[in-house]
Amino acid sequence: MNQSAKTLFIICLLRVLSSSLRGQTEQLLVPSDLKQQTIVTEPVTLRKGFLRMGLLVNYRIADRFFDNSGDKQYYRNSTWSSKSAYGITLQYGITDRLQADLISEYMNSLEETQNTEVVAGTTVVTVDKHRGIGLGDSHLALKYQIIPEKERRFSFSGKMKMTFPTGAKNPRNIRSENQYDLPVGDGTFALGLNLSARIIVYPYSFSGYSAYTYNFKGTKVIRPTDTAESEFKIGNLFETGVAGNLHLNEWIVLGNEINYYNEGQGVIEYITPEPIPSSWALSYEPGLVFQVHRFRLGESVKIPVFGKNVPADPLFVIMAQYIF
Amino acid sequence: MKNVSALLLIILLSLSLSYDAAGQKVTPERDKYVLLTMPYNQRPLNLYRGQVQANAGYKFAVRAQSFNADGDLVYLKNYGTGSVYHYYFVNLRYGLTSFIELGAETNFLRRGIREASVTVVSTTLTSAERITVNKLTESRGMGDIFLYTALRLPVQYKWFDIDITGGIFLPTSGYEPEIPSNTITSASLASENTSTINLHYNNTNGYGVPVYLLATASKISYKDFTVEAEWTMRTPGKEGQNIRWEETLAEKSFSYYNQLYSYLLSDIYTFDFSLHYQATGWFNLSLNGSFFRTKGGWTEYWGNKYRNPEKKLINLEPGFELQISPGLKICQLAGFPLSGKNNDAPFYMFTTLSYSIFPFMR
Repeated sequence: MNQSAKTLFIICLLRVLSSSLRGQTEQLLVPSDLKQQTIVTEPVTLRKGFLRMGLLVNYRIADRFFDNSGDKQYYRNSTWSSKSAYGITLQYGITDRLQADLISEYMNSLEETQNTEVVAGTTVVTVDKHRGIGLGDSHLALKYQIIPEKERRFSFSGKMKMTFPTGAKNPRNIRSENQYDLPVGDGTFALGLNLSARIIVYPYSFSGYSAYTYNFKGTKVIRPTDTAESEFKIGNLFETGVAGNLHLNEWIVLGNEINYYNEGQGVIEYITPEPIPSSWALSYEPGLVFQVHRFRLGESVKIPVFGKNVPADPLFVIMAQYIF
Repeated sequence: MKNVSALLLIILLSLSLSYDAAGQKVTPERDKYVLLTMPYNQRPLNLYRGQVQANAGYKFAVRAQSFNADGDLVYLKNYGTGSVYHYYFVNLRYGLTSFIELGAETNFLRRGIREASVTVVSTTLTSAERITVNKLTESRGMGDIFLYTALRLPVQYKWFDIDITGGIFLPTSGYEPEIPSNTITSASLASENTSTINLHYNNTNGYGVPVYLLATASKISYKDFTVEAEWTMRTPGKEGQNIRWEETLAEKSFSYYNQLYSYLLSDIYTFDFSLHYQATGWFNLSLNGSFFRTKGGWTEYWGNKYRNPEKKLINLEPGFELQISPGLKICQLAGFPLSGKNNDAPFYMFTTLSYSIFPFMR
């Protein structure tokens, strides 16, 4: 083999080898990449030092409800009721396994009822108009990964949530029995425990949770005509649900959740105690979550399928989050 | 040895060259993935040949206001008579050729409209009686099946397209209203008797007669911008007959009877004009202006024919179309009523999931 052939041989050999070597690059994960993970791929708690801010908007119009026997009924009388809540959330990763959440919400609700009364040939139109605007109750939560995902293929987490009655609990601006501002808070402290588990089988993630919330006793003006606050206790709350999320592509996730809640019977301590009826609902909540770099935008609709003493109308939810 | 070296050299040379040659594959210009992911501003009005598209949509409308006969806005929620409207639709389209499309569509709707409650109080020296009447008219059920054919220009879409659509709504739905489900409850407290009468009428969905549709649309694209205009007319094939339920109340018990009446549906005209911006290959933003109008038609009441009131509505609809995967798209728009006459003026959100495949193309 002459010199030029040898040179050509070496060039070709190097060319072939270099082609193979190009496939052996290593993907590096930097913090900016970690902040762009979707709800499927991100850890169940924020990584240490990560801060996430979010806005959660809920909107519902009262049109139908599940009655005491579980049948779906329309509201019969001429009434209009809408409720929107703007939840502001701050989440911070204290360690890779411990996350703190601070949640508060701004409420905007409206109830209008008109009744036309005919008495001895005279028509009297009565309009009840109530609006509730203002800061609602706030929550502080700590979430801890008991079994972190790094070690097993699934994670198991516990979350403790304390509710503070920061929202106005009594009717305000009482102009008459029919014209006043609605309370925007429950008026009671509450303590909740949530246990959840999740497994990722890319492009899917499956999770389940159970939660129990104990509502403490409180006092508030129940009816605008009451002259003093009455003691009351809202029933304790049990919630559970399962969810399956699917990556439709690398940055869009289709969420599916079935959840159940049951609120026990409460009581208003009037001279003759008045029960607050128990209620429950089984709902399905599909949604879409878009992850655009560190920004996350989601929309979902919670559809009550079965229930008792609860609204039967869909609850529309829009979520926006940004991770710093 | 020399032959072996030469052979080795030839193998290496061919291997070396093959890496470059591999990069020179010519991708077919319009394979099915290219067609499925074709941006809005580059695709024709109709489906491509062999394309099957299934659409499922949900419209949630908040009927908090309406336009009266003078075109003034009436805030229904102030009277407690606002309501919501749930509308679901499914649609199946097939591209028979690249310029002939066949389609079928139907829908399901549910809404309940409340009227202002009225309480009548009658008093005597010893007692009082309060009778409250609530009235709810519910509409619920499957709509008619709509079959159509759409023809477009038999050329590949570059920047201009035009199509014409003809179709018929087959009166397949159970359009006759069901018997009302009125209830009455009474309670006595000391010297006061209270009764609540809940009138509940159960209407259905559907025209009851064949309705023809004729539509034409055009589309012009320039770079990332597109304008599209569509005119549609629906007209009934004939007069129809339906029943109207009446009730009598005696001894706190309702008895019902129905009366036959005739009707002629109004013609419906809609005109849509939309501007689209293709922000990226997978995201299209749009702003649509929609004009709706009805004309003609009559309804019989007690043997007399009364002309249907003319309805008008102008809506503004910002929206987007997002390509999720090659086969899957989501479209969403919000509707804001601007002006109208004799018509509800709901705010609405309309979400459609669209799934496309080419079942006969590899």
